This record gives sequence, C-alpha cells and structure tokens, in this order.
Amino acid sequence: MLENFKINLKEIDKIKKISRDEKEFRIKNLNYFNKVGFPDKKIEDWKFSDLKGIIYKNFDKLNIKNINSKFKNVDLINDFDHNYITLVNGELNDINFKFEEKKNLKIKSFYNDNFLDRIQDNPLINLNHALSKNGYLLEVEENYRFKKVLVIYNLFTENLRDNILNSRNKIKIGKNSELHTIDLVINKSKHKFINNVYEDIILDNNAVFKNICIQNEKSEGYFHKFSKNTLASKSKYSSFIFPSGLKFNKFDLEFNLEGEESECNLQAASFLGKNDHQEIKTRINHFAPNCKSYQRVKNVLNSDGKGVYQGKIFVKDIAQKTNAYQLSKAMLLSDDSEFDSKPELEIYADDVKCSHGSTSGSIDEDSIYYLMTRGLNRKESVKLLVNGFLNEVIEMIKSNTMRKFVKSKLERHVHGY
Amino acid sequence: MLEIKNLKASINERDILKGLNITIKPGELHAIMGPNGSGKSTLANVLSGKNGYKISGELKYKGENLIEIPVDERAQKGIFLAFQYPTEIPGVNTNNFLKTSLNKIRKARGEKEVDTLSFLKIIKEKSIELGIDEKILSRQLNVGFSGGEKKKNEILQMKILDPNLTILDETDSGLDIDALKTIANGVNSSRDKKKSFLVITHYQRLLNYINPDFVHVLSDGKIVRSGRMELAEELEKTGYKKIN
Ligand SMILES: Nc1ncnc2c1ncn2[C@@H]1O[C@H](COP(=O)(O)OP(=O)(O)OP(=O)(O)O)[C@@H](O)[C@H]1O
Ligand SMILES: [Mg+2]
Repeated sequence: MLENFKINLKEIDKIKKISRDEKEFRIKNLNYFNKVGFPDKKIEDWKFSDLKGIIYKNFDKLNIKNINSKFKNVDLINDFDHNYITLVNGELNDINFKFEEKKNLKIKSFYNDNFLDRIQDNPLINLNHALSKNGYLLEVEENYRFKKVLVIYNLFTENLRDNILNSRNKIKIGKNSELHTIDLVINKSKHKFINNVYEDIILDNNAVFKNICIQNEKSEGYFHKFSKNTLASKSKYSSFIFPSGLKFNKFDLEFNLEGEESECNLQAASFLGKNDHQEIKTRINHFAPNCKSYQRVKNVLNSDGKGVYQGKIFVKDIAQKTNAYQLSKAMLLSDDSEFDSKPELEIYADDVKCSHGSTSGSIDEDSIYYLMTRGLNRKESVKLLVNGFLNEVIEMIKSNTMRKFVKSKLERHVHGY
Repeated sequence: MLEIKNLKASINERDILKGLNITIKPGELHAIMGPNGSGKSTLANVLSGKNGYKISGELKYKGENLIEIPVDERAQKGIFLAFQYPTEIPGVNTNNFLKTSLNKIRKARGEKEVDTLSFLKIIKEKSIELGIDEKILSRQLNVGFSGGEKKKNEILQMKILDPNLTILDETDSGLDIDALKTIANGVNSSRDKKKSFLVITHYQRLLNYINPDFVHVLSDGKIVRSGRMELAEELEKTGYKKIN
C-alpha cells in the first residue's frame, strides 16, 4: 500500500540542459502535483474514477526514474504497407518514412516547447509537465498528403516495474495536408507501471487527420492520456479508439473547434472484463460557427468490469449552426459490471442542433433465443451479439484494409469471453 | 417423430397450454389452426425449448424426452422453428450467421464443416429457388427486412439446415401470392418419408398447396378438433365460433 505519494523537487535538477523558463515551469507543475496528489473522486472530473484509491491500493512504491529502454525489435504489421515510428516506453526509437517525401515532414524527439501553459486542473497533466522527457514531434508541411498510413508502435518493455512513464507528443498538420495514423500497443511488460501521456494535435486550415488507436495487448499498466486537439477552419479529424480495458485506463480528450466548418468524429468500442476500469472523457468545444462534432461510444461489460463515459459539449455564443451529436451505448453481461455515463451540454448559441443519448442494459434474451434455435450455444450466441454490437463502430471505418485489420485485432479480445 | 401428451405450459402465472395431445409420425405434415391467443406460438416455443415456461406432461422427440434438453441441442438434433416474428439482430451479418449456424448443425450430425466457397454456392442455389434477393443476405440479420423477406429468410434457413422436424409458425402470414407459392414449393420439395412438419396457419390457402395429412384446431390451450383437409375448408366457411 502506497501512502501520501510525493515527488522530491531534486528530480527536476536531474533533468539536464534545460533553460531557466523550463525549469521554473517544471517546478511550478511539480509543486502543484505534490499539493494535490493523484486525483480522487472528490474532484468532479474524477468522480467515477478514483485514481488515488486505485493507485494506492495496487502499488507499494512508485519509481520515477526513467528506465533505460534500448531499441527492441518490433514485429511489424504485414497486412499493409506503412510508415512507422517506434516508441519504447514512450521514447522515440525507430523512424521509418520510406513511403514519403522527406522534405514534407519533420520528426524528432521532443518533450515540450511551451512553458507558458497555465496550470491545468488535472494533476496528471501537471505531473506530465513536471517530468516528461520523452515523446515525439511530427510536423507535416502544407499541401502534402501522406501516401501511406503511419503506424505508431507503442512498445512497453519487460523491465518495467512500478515506473511512472511521462511522455509528451505533438503532431502538427499543415494547410491542406492529410495524415492517417494507427496507434498500436505492443506489450512485453510483466509488472505494474503507470503510463501518463500528454498529446497535442494541431490541424491547420483544411487539414485532415484520421487516427485509429488499438490497445490490443493487455498489460498491468495503468494508463492515462490527455489529448488536446485543435482544429482550424475546414479541418477534419476522425478518431477511432479501441481500448483493451486495463486496471485503469482513462482517455481525456479535448477537441477545440476553433475554425469555421471544422469537424470532429470520435468513435470508441471496448470490451471490458474482469478488473477492468476504463473511462472515456470528452470535451468538445464549439468555438466557431458551422462546425460538426459526432461522438459514439460503445462498451460491453463483462464480469466486474467498469466503464465510464463523461461527455461534454460546449457551444460558444458565436458558434451558430453547430451540429453536435453524442451517443453512448453499453451492454452489460454480468450483474457485477457497471457503467456510468454523464452527458453534458452547455450551449450559449441559439441556432444549434445538439443531441445526446445514453442507453445501458443487459443483452437481449430474445436475440439469444433466436440464435440458439439455430444451433449456437449460449456462449457462441452472446459472442456473436457482442461482436455485432461492437461491429457497428468498426463498420464506420471507411478503408477496407483498416476495417479488416481492426476486426481481426478486436475479435481476439472478445475471444477471451 | 413427435409425441405430445397432456402438455401443459404456463408463464407469468398464466396457464396457456392446458393438456394438449398430438402425435406426428415420420413423413407426416400436420396443420394447426386456431384463434388468436389460443396458444399456437406458445406450443412452437415450448417445442423449440424456449426458457421461462412452467411445463408438465410428456414431450418426446424420436423417443427421447425433450423437456430437459436446451434450445441449441434441440436444433442440433434436427428441430427447426420458423418464427412468427423473426428477431432483428443488429450488427450480425446474415451470411456469417447462416454459415455459423450451418456448421454447428453439421458438426452435431458428424458431418464436415463447409468452407466459405461451398457455403456461398449453397446459399446462391437456395436463394434462387426461394426467390430471395441475395443482397439482403449481406445485411444485418433481419434488420430492416420487409415482413416477407423475414419469412423467406426463415425458409431459407430451413432449407439450409435440413431439419427432421420443422415447425412453421404463421410463415404464410404477410406473404404475397407468388411468395406463398414459392414457400409452399420449398416445403413440398423438402418433404420425404423421414421428415415431419407442424404448420401453424390461419389460412386454407397455404394448406391447398401443401396438402396436410392432418388438421387440428387449437383453442384455449387444447386441441378441440382434429381431422383432414376438409376441416380446414369447413373452418374457412364457418370460423371458429361453431367449433367449441
Ligand atoms: N410471456 C407471457 N406472459 C403472459 N402471457 C403470455 C405470454 N406469452 C403469451 N402469453 C399469452 O398467452 C396467450 C397465447 O399466446 P400465443 O402467442 O401462444 O397465441 P397464438 O395462438 O400464437 O396467437 P396468434 O394467432 O395471435 O399468433 C395469449 O393470450 C398471450 O397474451
Ligand atoms: Mg402466434
């Protein structure tokens, strides 16, 4: 059992070659984290996910030392041609953009270049700001469309044990450019660790970004990711997330629709089982007129799995003709499973179309009966229905290759049911 | 093939079947008619093994007591129910489902599973025979199917799974005249000395095509009359009121 976890300020002295601004920024954030600690359910944003309780219960100690992560060979996906980068415990290792014109992109190791950020009200962001030393920066020049998808292999190594990994990534996509990425977890770790990611994605006018995030390999990791996405005029962002379920797994996603006619589309599907606790929290800020946002979150919960969806749509007074849609559906397979959902609308414009809905319920017994009269046993019927339920999200992936790939990865998940 | 003796079934404290007797021999086709709410679908459900009913009496299929046998095993033993209201199942692709189902049944019979190619061949052949637009089979199972398409999809499954005992629960309701003929042909071409049918219907028209060996009238949970085809003709004229 861990108690009253604090981080010594000396840890920041260990980070070499940093400017005074940066040092101050880190110290300021660390002080804040030390004051508040891991968030607990008294904080509104964390009311369904008592991280402090979870961490204190499951960890005896935490190690903030950066782990020496040498390059590991990764089994690359064979299903389709792709560019890739490899992140080993968050650190940028291998880069391969063989399908692209190099002059149109820039990729490098990165942690931060902006020390003016105000103090955030999420202690995990402060922790990240204070300690992150790893991550990548990817910039795509104007008027360049990636020829092939970029796969980001997120490898977690065997020697992780009680570590807190803090990494920070940034993607900037220039005017009229287009990038597709797949985030894939490859897990070699055997023990508990915390993975805390801060992500910044910036789309310039008319830029297109499509991302598929697949955590198909389960670990003992406790994951938190904060993602800040900024969309300029007429840019389009689409994200499919297929999280695996972990002892703790929280996606905190903020979309800022700053330019007119920008669009974001977020879809998620998960199968959560024993000991899983997963939260998807979104905040969609409609700051400009004529923007669209679409969210669909589907969860299947088995055993004592717990799922949370907190989705907020904010529409600024000038953001007329906003079209915002939000839907959460949960299927509960066990009496011990739990799903909490908190949809929220905060609207200051009068000419908007906003709708939200949330349903959760057990599996349909009539459907099971129908399938069983055709010779499938109960388990097979449930599996077919669960896959069907989650498939509705997968079917929205436009590319055939990607859809097939995701399907094969995800069906293995449900396989364990 | 099927022996039902003094079958009683209740659900939610409501007695629905109140001592029902029918014996169906191999090769026979029996029709059941009866007013709305008399318990016809309940009988079909109970035969298929649906949960939730309190059951007493005797239910024997090929000499074996059925009551303890779960739904999927009954299907694997060759009992097939075509639903009055086929369930819509979102997200489940019809073809995938049909293939999974066929292979489960084949496996239970000790036959080799079919691969996708031969499966598609079977499907093509049967859909043409039944006048089914193959396109609907790449859609989600029964979702958005028209009433007639749903019924045809049930008969398609019957054809593919090739059961010993087929129960059709108002499969003819809601079908246009041509579809009715195709479905009757589908049933007729499946009939042989070994296979039996229990056909629930409200209309004589289907029976004209498929020539039942026996016609029964179910009323308030009991068989109140049994006879031959003439009984159906009589009912068409007089209705059920005079029967009781
Ligand atoms: N789950 C249930 N709970 C309570 N009553 C039920 C239930 N299921 C059926 N019933 C009742 O039992 C009776 C018989 O129903 P059933 O569906 O078997 O009739 P049916 O003969 O098939 O009628 P129809 O010709 O309209 O299809 C009806 O009065 C119905 O309301
Ligand atoms: Mg009925």
